[in-house]
Amino acid sequence: MTTAIQQHLDEIREIAAEVLEIEPEEITETSSFAEEHEADSLRAIEILARIEKKYNVEIPQAELPKMVNLRAVYDVVAQHAGWAA
Amino acid sequence: MRRRVVITGLGPVSSVGIGTEEFATALQQGESGISPISSFDATGFPHRMAGEVPAFDPKQMLEHLDPREWGRTSLFAAAAARLAVQDSGIDPAALSRARAGSSIGTTSGESQVIEELTAQWVAGSLKDLDPALIRATPASRLAVAVNRELGLTGEALTLSTACSASNYALGHAYATLATGEADYMIAGGADSVCRWAHAGFYRLGALTEFVCSPFDRDRSGILTGEGGAALFLEPLESAERRGARIYAEVLGYGLNCDASHMVAPDPVSIAECMRRAHRKAGIDAAQVDYICAHGTGTPANDAMETQAVLEVFGPKPPPISSIKSMLGHTMGAASGFGAIASALGIARQFIPPTINFRTPDPQMPGIDPVAGVARPARLRVVQNNGFAFGGNNAITILGEVA
Repeated sequence: MTTAIQQHLDEIREIAAEVLEIEPEEITETSSFAEEHEADSLRAIEILARIEKKYNVEIPQAELPKMVNLRAVYDVVAQHAGWAA
Repeated sequence: MRRRVVITGLGPVSSVGIGTEEFATALQQGESGISPISSFDATGFPHRMAGEVPAFDPKQMLEHLDPREWGRTSLFAAAAARLAVQDSGIDPAALSRARAGSSIGTTSGESQVIEELTAQWVAGSLKDLDPALIRATPASRLAVAVNRELGLTGEALTLSTACSASNYALGHAYATLATGEADYMIAGGADSVCRWAHAGFYRLGALTEFVCSPFDRDRSGILTGEGGAALFLEPLESAERRGARIYAEVLGYGLNCDASHMVAPDPVSIAECMRRAHRKAGIDAAQVDYICAHGTGTPANDAMETQAVLEVFGPKPPPISSIKSMLGHTMGAASGFGAIASALGIARQFIPPTINFRTPDPQMPGIDPVAGVARPARLRVVQNNGFAFGGNNAITILGEVA
């Protein structure tokens, strides 16, 4: 279970790093996309779109405001993808 | 000395009507041009409506261009220009001998052509691209199409400043005539409904499902639209000399750029653009009788536009309506249709309505969106707003010839 979570976290971290044009190591579970990694609404949508494609899930745009850091993104995706908590 | 510039011909090729009379009637009655998408296969898209112009028949409207050699957007531009010249009553032969040119705005240029080429590439390889389509691709062809259709030998300028492009084009044409660099100008814009704009706006969360309802509390986004909007401009003296019907005078325009966010509008910068337009037109905010809004129907645009209006006009601004409620968002043609609607409003004394308006937004107090149908009114001065991605704002001011 733990490894599955870690793997998903790493994959999402990879996606976020690519969109935000930074190194994956710079993103911690709680570092703020907007304040620490200079994300704006467009980048957030791009992260959302890539995640939807990768995991073949649909995430309502209304969830965007919650997706402020890696952990928060994971929680939203886990909920919509039906990953076990 | 700066010459006064007037609008003496209108050429709307729109989803609610082609030509001045159809368009004016539609504005007065608050007709909708929205229908299920037919330009591309929208199967699989969650939203499937747009403001297309299925009645557009370039072959029937154009006298010189061969429609097979041009993309849909160029054809919209050329057909709109042809209509505007017909509407002005000027002799086309005399026009083509005169110092005359065009400035045409667009957001996506020949978007349908590019999509078709992309499809050919994906289905086959680069070798499978149709050379005729490649030739039709450059956006710069929009203004060239206008000049070729009308035989104009002055400038042919295509401006790509996205959704405020027609106002940029109108401002440029006005300046060209005011300073005496040309004697007649066609100004306007054109864009085509395409899958990429539909998909892009959907992905942004900015595309509504069925109806566009600007300024409504429950507004939920744009619908993409298409068409060609052209205005025929000449100096006042020239219009009077030939006894032309004058719709309105172009009083001035203001341009600026937020220079911050790609898609989020900045009300402070928009308010500054309004003040700039007023200054350049030599008017006070209090003189504006009607604002033809950018009014896309997205939560963000309408809120920010209203905030800027309240900042500049105070708590009781003039009526402000959005014709995008009827046409959808025609992108680079949008502020051109706004200018045509404004000119018609001045000439025929009415304010175009915002249709689909039901519930006032408590966050936008004091707004009068002219709900449902047009309202009779004498309009001496009208402000026509155009804002674009990139924070590229362009506002034109039209007025009654005093």
